[in-house]
Amino acid sequence: MTFFDTGLLLSLTAAALGLIWKILGWLRLTVAPAPRPGMGARLAALGKGLLRSLAPCAAARWLRALIVDGLLQRRIASNGFYRWLMHMLIFTGFMGLLIMHGMDELTSELWFSDYAPTLDPFQWLRNLFGVLALTGLGIAAWRRLSQPRVKRTTGLQDWVLIALLAGIMLSGVGLEASKIISPHVFDSMVEDYLGSDDEAEINALRLLWADEYGVVFPVAPPRSDEALAQGRELNEESCVYCHSRPSSAFASYPLAKAVAPLGNILNNLRADLLFYYLHVGLCFLGLVLLPWGKFMHPLSAPINLTLRRGRTTSDTASAAPALADALRPIGMDACTHCGACSEHCSVAPSFMALGTPDILPSEKLGALKRHAAGRLDAPARRAFAEGSQICTECLRCTTVCPSGIDLQDLWMQSKARLRITGPHEPHAVLQQRPTRHWAKTLRSLPPALAEASRSVKICDNRDSFWGCVQCTTCTSVCPVVASSEAPARELDLTPQQIMNMLRMGLKEEAMGAEMVWSCVTCYKCQENCPQGVRVADVLYELRTLAWARLREHPEAWDEAGTSPGHEPETQGGEA
Amino acid sequence: MRYAYFPGCKIPHHLPAYGQAVTALCDALKIDLAPLEFNCCGDPVRHRSFEAWALSAGRNLALAHGAGLPIMTPCKCCFGSLKHAAYWLRENHDLRAEVNATLSNEGLILPEEPQVFHLLTVLDQDVPPDELAARAGGRLCGLRVAAHYGCHALRPGNVTNFDDPLNPTIFERLLRRVGVTPVPWDLRLECCGHPLRGKRDKFSKALKERKLTDARQAGAQILATACTYCQMQFADNENGQPSAQEQTAVAAQDINNPPGNPPTAMLAAQLIGLGIGLSPEEVGLTKLPAPLVHPSSLGHEEHTRKITDGEPITANDSNATGR
Repeated sequence: MTFFDTGLLLSLTAAALGLIWKILGWLRLTVAPAPRPGMGARLAALGKGLLRSLAPCAAARWLRALIVDGLLQRRIASNGFYRWLMHMLIFTGFMGLLIMHGMDELTSELWFSDYAPTLDPFQWLRNLFGVLALTGLGIAAWRRLSQPRVKRTTGLQDWVLIALLAGIMLSGVGLEASKIISPHVFDSMVEDYLGSDDEAEINALRLLWADEYGVVFPVAPPRSDEALAQGRELNEESCVYCHSRPSSAFASYPLAKAVAPLGNILNNLRADLLFYYLHVGLCFLGLVLLPWGKFMHPLSAPINLTLRRGRTTSDTASAAPALADALRPIGMDACTHCGACSEHCSVAPSFMALGTPDILPSEKLGALKRHAAGRLDAPARRAFAEGSQICTECLRCTTVCPSGIDLQDLWMQSKARLRITGPHEPHAVLQQRPTRHWAKTLRSLPPALAEASRSVKICDNRDSFWGCVQCTTCTSVCPVVASSEAPARELDLTPQQIMNMLRMGLKEEAMGAEMVWSCVTCYKCQENCPQGVRVADVLYELRTLAWARLREHPEAWDEAGTSPGHEPETQGGEA
Repeated sequence: MRYAYFPGCKIPHHLPAYGQAVTALCDALKIDLAPLEFNCCGDPVRHRSFEAWALSAGRNLALAHGAGLPIMTPCKCCFGSLKHAAYWLRENHDLRAEVNATLSNEGLILPEEPQVFHLLTVLDQDVPPDELAARAGGRLCGLRVAAHYGCHALRPGNVTNFDDPLNPTIFERLLRRVGVTPVPWDLRLECCGHPLRGKRDKFSKALKERKLTDARQAGAQILATACTYCQMQFADNENGQPSAQEQTAVAAQDINNPPGNPPTAMLAAQLIGLGIGLSPEEVGLTKLPAPLVHPSSLGHEEHTRKITDGEPITANDSNATGR
């Protein structure tokens, strides 16, 4: 078996195994809160959906989505011209090369009876496709380097894909150029096609190919007009039917010309073979990587766009549970990590302020995949929970996603799941331990960095509460106090008692109080305070301060925050 | 007038009907809304981080400033958050400098005087009262409506400058212009309970039911909201109808009071839109709430504290501050 056959077999096997694993994931991975229908139910639901999609009106919808969103990339177009141009160039170039050149035994050779890769227009087209793809990759790299909002979500995987594709294209150009100048390639062609071993004839042909085909011979063939004429005649007889002049290879021929002065060195190094192994090796690597991460999007994005039938709203949850469960992992795998969602994310400023990457949807999706596969460690789980909880479900990521992923549904489901499994939201974490526990814990923790660096300080500024005369107006207008049958038990402290705690310098004692975490922020207390005390502002700040401390010292809330089976509303009891 | 339209995060997925009603209403009243890509107003993250909140809200103020437009939002929570941020960014120079430093990376800068308005204010200021009355032509005449104010626009009054925080009149004033009869009710300035939804559901539900009961006792057929969150709290489904379960809960809680359904929660933009002749579909209603189909169907007139036209709605409302 040749290198090529062995490599192809191995990488195809690896790709096939990876794809099977991924498809099993579509049947197995769960985003929604458990318990859910099993694998069989999902498979049946997908089958039923497939049958239903064959109905004419359904088929028209998904075909339209496949063409408009998949091939023409309407959704990318609405995200900006350069993004669309970038993708179209890479798509056209790569698919052109893959179909016409990479799989030519199955395509070009069958479609064109006189096909030869060295003939025009194939030789010219190969250069055209390569240059298109390289231009697109150049735009991609430029966008990811120069645009701050794209740059902040650009990761290793994005660069690996860009580099891999660029490597395949460039090594292809290098391979063609090194074959153009190679006397070894010339000799093997002579052996195969000339049908003569007359040294004079071969020299005549060498002369012509050195002049017109760019071959660099270690010893220049003897030059004469007769030899040149003889070479041209032999060329007409034996060569031109399957080898055009390389000047139409507008990328690799100029390269061959440019490196011609170093031709002998390159030829001695067998640059043609080196580039061959590099080019084919990179293609095999791409094949092996195909089922993983964003490398899969050429398969998964069209599948997802087809399944979504062109919709930009969120409706997965309205599908049958088994079908919805199967659609969700397919959506997760359709991510190209293009970052469009994060560019438009409504809570991106929270990312700028807090620095948790998982606040941005493109990053959170990666965490969600690992979360669904059970591969998040405790810090990563906390970051994922924070990102999930800060999301405001504004739908914008779903509207702009070029792969048509129903991100809104993924977030709503994963948030529902987090509410059961934890890590919980701050109010729920604080609710799991009594006020005195938090008073002790928070007092033992050093002030958070975020706490020390803030420019607005309310609880640490005596003017905020010093005017309090304990008149109880705040408590008597508080709608939460009014709704509680037993404020002392249900709320720990009333607003005016909290102001008193601050007056006594017992900030931490107030931080965990139910009242602080049950404030509806209606500002009645502050509005009605005869002394102008910032009651509601104080409660707001107590929450942020407590959370800043616990956020910087996760060990203090890990136990409380991640214990499963938490049910909110346990301590209040039924009315 | 032209405004930068700030729908807020919840309208696109959770309450699309509100967005539809606001754009249809503003379109009909020649209020020009420019779509800007705002980010979250910051309100939800304010419980976690003051700084993240200030940056979120501040960025919106800077975006509108960059477009040279005042902000108009139909959500009281977005409104309150933006106004509150404008207050702190004015009061605290360090905070302002920090936010400006971050924003400058995007070429944005905080305005000196941020212009933020709530939909109700815009309707009150930009649409001549006569025009609204003329267009309404008595379509909703006699419909008894409880105006639910929403906390974050009202308070703290010195920060939001929305209306008199203890005795506001803007909502009733607008309703009266489209021929609706606003009912006085004790809890009109109270919290809807949404902020504790999913956090302390017991309190959240209690606040909501107390208000619905009070509005019903005051004879209201409709509870008008002007805030995305308030509306979501009072009515989950897209038609703005309280669920059957909620209706039963409210009715059962209060057996000593006259029977009747709790008022249907409805967005003021929808109500005013219907009032000036927009179709239910245009304002995002798939079907009309029952009281609008048969305005007198609930008719327990004896319990309705009638107000004569022109009388300030809250002049004698001793409970304006709440309890």
